[in-house]
Amino acid sequence: MTILVAVPDSKEGAVALAAAADEAELLDTDLVVVNLGLGPLDTSSLPPTLKVTVTKRTGKADRDPVDAVLADIEEYGATRLVIGVKRRSPVGKALLGSVSQGLLLEAPVPVLAIKIDDPHR
Amino acid sequence: MSHGAPITSSSGIALPLLRPGPHQRRLDLIAVVATFGGLLFGYDTGVINGALEPMKHDLGLNTVTEGLVTATLLVGAAVGAIVGGRMNDTLGRKKTLTIVAVIFFVGTVGGVIAPNLAVMLPSRIILGFAVGAASVTVPVYLAELAPTERRGTLSGRNELAIVVGQMLAFIINAIIAGVWGHHDGVWRYMLAVAALPAVCLFVGMLRMPESPRWLISKGRHDDALQVLLQVRNEDRARAEIAEVEHLAEEESESQTGGWADLSVPWIRRIVVVGCGLAMAQQLTGINSVMYYGTQLLTEAGFSASAALIANIANGVLAVAGSAICLFLVIDRMPRRQLIVRGFIATTAVHGLIVIAATVMPQGITRAYVILILCVTFVFFMQLALNVPVWVCLSELFPLQLRGFAMGLSILCMWLMNAALTFAFPIIVGLTGLQGIFSLFFVVGVISVVFLWKMLPNTSGRSLEQLEEAFAGGDFR
Repeated sequence: MTILVAVPDSKEGAVALAAAADEAELLDTDLVVVNLGLGPLDTSSLPPTLKVTVTKRTGKADRDPVDAVLADIEEYGATRLVIGVKRRSPVGKALLGSVSQGLLLEAPVPVLAIKIDDPHR
Repeated sequence: MSHGAPITSSSGIALPLLRPGPHQRRLDLIAVVATFGGLLFGYDTGVINGALEPMKHDLGLNTVTEGLVTATLLVGAAVGAIVGGRMNDTLGRKKTLTIVAVIFFVGTVGGVIAPNLAVMLPSRIILGFAVGAASVTVPVYLAELAPTERRGTLSGRNELAIVVGQMLAFIINAIIAGVWGHHDGVWRYMLAVAALPAVCLFVGMLRMPESPRWLISKGRHDDALQVLLQVRNEDRARAEIAEVEHLAEEESESQTGGWADLSVPWIRRIVVVGCGLAMAQQLTGINSVMYYGTQLLTEAGFSASAALIANIANGVLAVAGSAICLFLVIDRMPRRQLIVRGFIATTAVHGLIVIAATVMPQGITRAYVILILCVTFVFFMQLALNVPVWVCLSELFPLQLRGFAMGLSILCMWLMNAALTFAFPIIVGLTGLQGIFSLFFVVGVISVVFLWKMLPNTSGRSLEQLEEAFAGGDFR
């Protein structure tokens, strides 16, 4: 079993990464981190005992982050996907679409969606 | 350049020195074709400056259709830049350029024989398509064939060839008008000359090899080595394959980013700066002068024939500014400082033109003062805002976003150029020189403030250091 986490360059990304690390420790599985941002990703906060693979988007085929994550799920045989979600304005969604929505609807594996604007967390 | 020691390419791969040999002649041919690509581009954009005045009487143009004839070329160019990029990837550089040369020829002939606007406008779009496609293909092709040692100077030489092409168009237009000025369709002769560089490009391309980098990106390693063996010493060719592979990978990586990445604030910010810089460069009105210089000088007070000759000064100062920029300025001043000062200079000259056009009485003195101010503007623009802006754009974006962000900036540039080119004769018709240069002045002030606040300095640091600073929110 492998857990795969999609980490955009944003607050949701950091929250998703932390939650995915907890999940992987709990289930005692390895973790694949898909860096959706364009810069390097800091994974030093992850527990050293965890087996972590970091991948990034490369080339035109990975231009759409949703496609990049779906391709990695298949490549690494991931059995669960972790993403961070937040409320977005209708204008924001219309302009840039929603990666979270795309992944929720298209991922072939169960998706664990972590809310960042949840006051109970 | 040092002799004897092997050089290290941009990718850190050590390469044996390039030595003289039979491949030298092919490399020289590449340089010649390079020059023709740029000359063609300059000539085709500049030839309308001078052809428009006689065409106006012949085809019965008003200010709106005058703007349309000039601007449709640029709309075609915007489309050509996008489609040309795709053709580059799928058909290859050589085939694309050969097709482009034929399209150039078709567009030129269409313009020359056009009996009315219904033929002229589509011809201008076709020609524009070729101009745009060539503008994205020629620099890429040359950079991919040229040895590392010469690659750096190539894109600058291309810009220089463009302004030389425009200057040649101004000079040849003035000569044609002097010799056959009494002919009704004299503008047809002017447009016809533009077919010459297209023919040269076509003949040249037939003898050129395909780009090794494109061949490698298609997995054709043996063909790529064959090409390199034609244009390099044998040991060098074999060593260079590794470098070419690295560059092909880098290019594929540069295509990663897209619209989705604009959700990240620091990325959005540099894309806004890049597109803003590209549009601000056009909004100095440089291309209004390069396309409508003759009309502008007629408006200033010159006679039609004197304006055609005076307009050559614009071309000459453009070449002088570009040359001084390339050989003296570009590497000696921080990029941000050069660009911001350039905008301050051009905006100040715009202000002086408004004052001169408003307070001076009509007459030849006013005409000469405006001519001098106009060429001063062109000089500062080419000195500080042409090549430096392109270099700045190529350094600004992180590698993975470069393909997308450069494409978007270039599209903004073409569309702004087209909009301004269309509006220029209409605004001049309504408000005179004062109106259009007041507009340039106000927009110039806004550009200076925008760039002063937003533009980071891209020189003096490696591209990796820049990327790290931007991602950390440091935009100095």
